[in-house]
Amino acid sequence: MQNFGLSYFAIKNLKKNTLRTAILAVAIALMVATLVFAMSFVRQVNSSIKLTSERLGADVIVVPAGARGAAEDILLENQSKSFYMDSGMVEKIRGIKGVEQVTSQTYLVTLTGLCCSVPSSLIVAFNQDTDFIVKPWLSKTIGRRLNKGEAIVGQESAYNINLGLMEVDSVLFGNVFRMVGVLDKTGTGLDNAIFISDENIDALIKKGNVAGIKPGQISIIFVRAQKGVDPYEIVRDITNATVEVDAVARKDIGKGLINTLRDINRIFYFTMLLSSVLSIFLAWSVFSAIANERSREVGIMRAIGAKESHIVKLFFAEVFLIGAIGSIAGIAGGTALSLLLAKSFFILKNPAADLSVLERILISLSGFAIGTGICVIGALSPLQRLKKLEPLVVIKGE
Amino acid sequence: MSQIIIENITKTYTVANETINAVLDTSLEVGAGEFVSIVGHSGSGKTTLLSILGGIARPTSGRVLFDGTDIYSLDTDGLSEYRSGRVGFMFQFASLLPVLTARENLLLPLVFHKGASGRKPEDNGKAAELLKMVGLGDKINAYPGHLSGGQQRRVAIARAFMNDPELILADEPTGDLDVETETDMLEFFRKMNREKNITFVMVTHNISIAESASQRFRMSNGQIEKLVGK
Repeated sequence: MQNFGLSYFAIKNLKKNTLRTAILAVAIALMVATLVFAMSFVRQVNSSIKLTSERLGADVIVVPAGARGAAEDILLENQSKSFYMDSGMVEKIRGIKGVEQVTSQTYLVTLTGLCCSVPSSLIVAFNQDTDFIVKPWLSKTIGRRLNKGEAIVGQESAYNINLGLMEVDSVLFGNVFRMVGVLDKTGTGLDNAIFISDENIDALIKKGNVAGIKPGQISIIFVRAQKGVDPYEIVRDITNATVEVDAVARKDIGKGLINTLRDINRIFYFTMLLSSVLSIFLAWSVFSAIANERSREVGIMRAIGAKESHIVKLFFAEVFLIGAIGSIAGIAGGTALSLLLAKSFFILKNPAADLSVLERILISLSGFAIGTGICVIGALSPLQRLKKLEPLVVIKGE
Repeated sequence: MSQIIIENITKTYTVANETINAVLDTSLEVGAGEFVSIVGHSGSGKTTLLSILGGIARPTSGRVLFDGTDIYSLDTDGLSEYRSGRVGFMFQFASLLPVLTARENLLLPLVFHKGASGRKPEDNGKAAELLKMVGLGDKINAYPGHLSGGQQRRVAIARAFMNDPELILADEPTGDLDVETETDMLEFFRKMNREKNITFVMVTHNISIAESASQRFRMSNGQIEKLVGK
C-alpha cells in the first residue's frame, strides 16, 4: 500500500477490463512478432550468404551456361544437383588474364537405394593437385591426401550416415568407399557433401548408375584472382571468351536470392506498414472507448486536485503498459519463430550466421519502440480530449 | 477579513443556441471557519456556484478571491494546487473511483497533491482514522462496488478531509443517508468546523441544517439572496 501511486492506479485500471486490454496487447504482439521475425530472418539470410561467399575461397565461380542457379542452390542451400561441362574449360579459364589459380569439382547426386548405401546426398569429386576449396578443411581433418577408394564427409552428411569416430565403408555407385574422416563445419553447402578424389570418377561412371555425366566432364570451376586484379574483370573476360559458361564473382553469389528476398521484404514491410496503421486505429478506438468511459472519473480526479499532467501520466502509464506487454510478447514470439524456423532453412543453419546478441537487442528495441509507439500514437487524440475536459461538465454529465 | 469573496460572478452556458445564466451577477463573502448553507430548487445554480468557488468551473465574468488571491488568475496547475491543497469536495453523487479501495480513494488526493513519493507512512493511518470517523473502520479495503450508496457517500465525505482543507464545498452531502447516519455526519462536520476551523459552504435541502448555519443563502434563477432570521 505504501507504493500506491499513478502506476499502481494504472495497473488497476487495466485489470478492470482484462479482455479489452488483452485484445489490444495481442494485436500489438502479433504485429511486433511479425516485424521482429522479418527483420531477424532477412538479416540472418544476408549474413549467411555473405559468410558463405567469404568462406568459399574462390573469387569467381564458373558453371555451365544456365546452371548458375543450381550452383547457388548447392553452395548456399545445400541442395543436391548436377550439371556438367567439358573439362577442357579448365585450361581455357586458366589462360584468362589475371587468373592465379583454377580448380574444378564434379558433382554426382546419389539416389537412395538405387546406387548407393548412403542417403540422398551430393558426391563432390575434387582435384587434389589443384584444389584450394576443400583442402583447407581437409588438412585439418586427416592431414594427408585422400587415396583412391577413400572419402571424407561434411558434418551434415556424417550425421546422415551415422558416421562417428569409426571409419565406415559405404557403397557409392557400385564402389566401396572408406569414410576416413569428417570435415569441420564450414557453414556452406560443403557440409552436406561426400568428398572423393576425382581420380575415382572414371571408375564410378563405368560401374555405377550415374545419370547425365560423360567421361571428361566437370561441374564447376573455382578461380582465384591474382593480387590486385578485380574479379569482375575476370568475369567479363570469361563471358567475352565463351558463351558455354556463366561466370559469377564471389560478391554476386546469392545476389539473385538477396534480390528475391529484397522484393519479399518490400512486400513484407508494406504489409507491416498497413498493419501498423490498422493497429493505430485499433489502439485509437480502444483508447477512445476508455476515454469516454472514464471521462467522469477524470472530472472527479481533476476536482480533487489532479493536474493535467497527472491525467496525462496516468493515461500514458496505461497506454505504455499495454504497448510494452504486447511488444515484449511480440519480441519473444518473433525471436522464437526466427530461431525455430532457422532449423528449417539450410541457409540459416550456419551458426556463424546467427545474429549477434547486439543485433538481437537492436531488433528487439526497434520492435519495442514500434509496438509502444503505435499505442502512443493511437492514444494521442483520446488523451487530448480527456486532458481538456471541464470537470463540472463531465461531473454533471452534460 | 473575509476568507472568500465572490464578486459579481456570472456563468452562462449556451445550449442549442440558447444562452442560459446558471449564475447571474452573484456576490457574497464568507469568513474563515464559517458554516454557510445555500438552499434552492434544482437548477437554481447552487452546484455551479459551488463549482466556481472550488475552481472547477471558470466564471464567464466576475472574480473569486480566496485569502485575497483571485483563483481564476491562476494557471491550470495553480488551480489544481488550490483544489488539492486548500479545498475538499463532497459531490452530490457517489464520486469514488471504482478500481480503488476505500483507503486508496482517500489516498488519491494526496498522490495528486504531494506525488507518490511525497506521501508519508502515517497517511495510511490517517485514511484509516477518517474512515473510522465516518463509521467505516471495517471497510478500509472494500471496493466501492461492495459498498452501499450511503457507505460510498461516507467514503467520499472522509476523502474531502484527507488534505486538511481550509474550505469544504459540500453539495447535498447527506442526500443518500438515513436519518441516523445523516445526524452523525452533521455532527462530524460540526466537529471538524469547530476544532479545525474549516470553512463549510454546503448546498442542502435539509431545513434544519440550513437554519443552523452561520450564514444562509437562497439561490433562485442563478441569483443569490441572503436569508436573515429563522
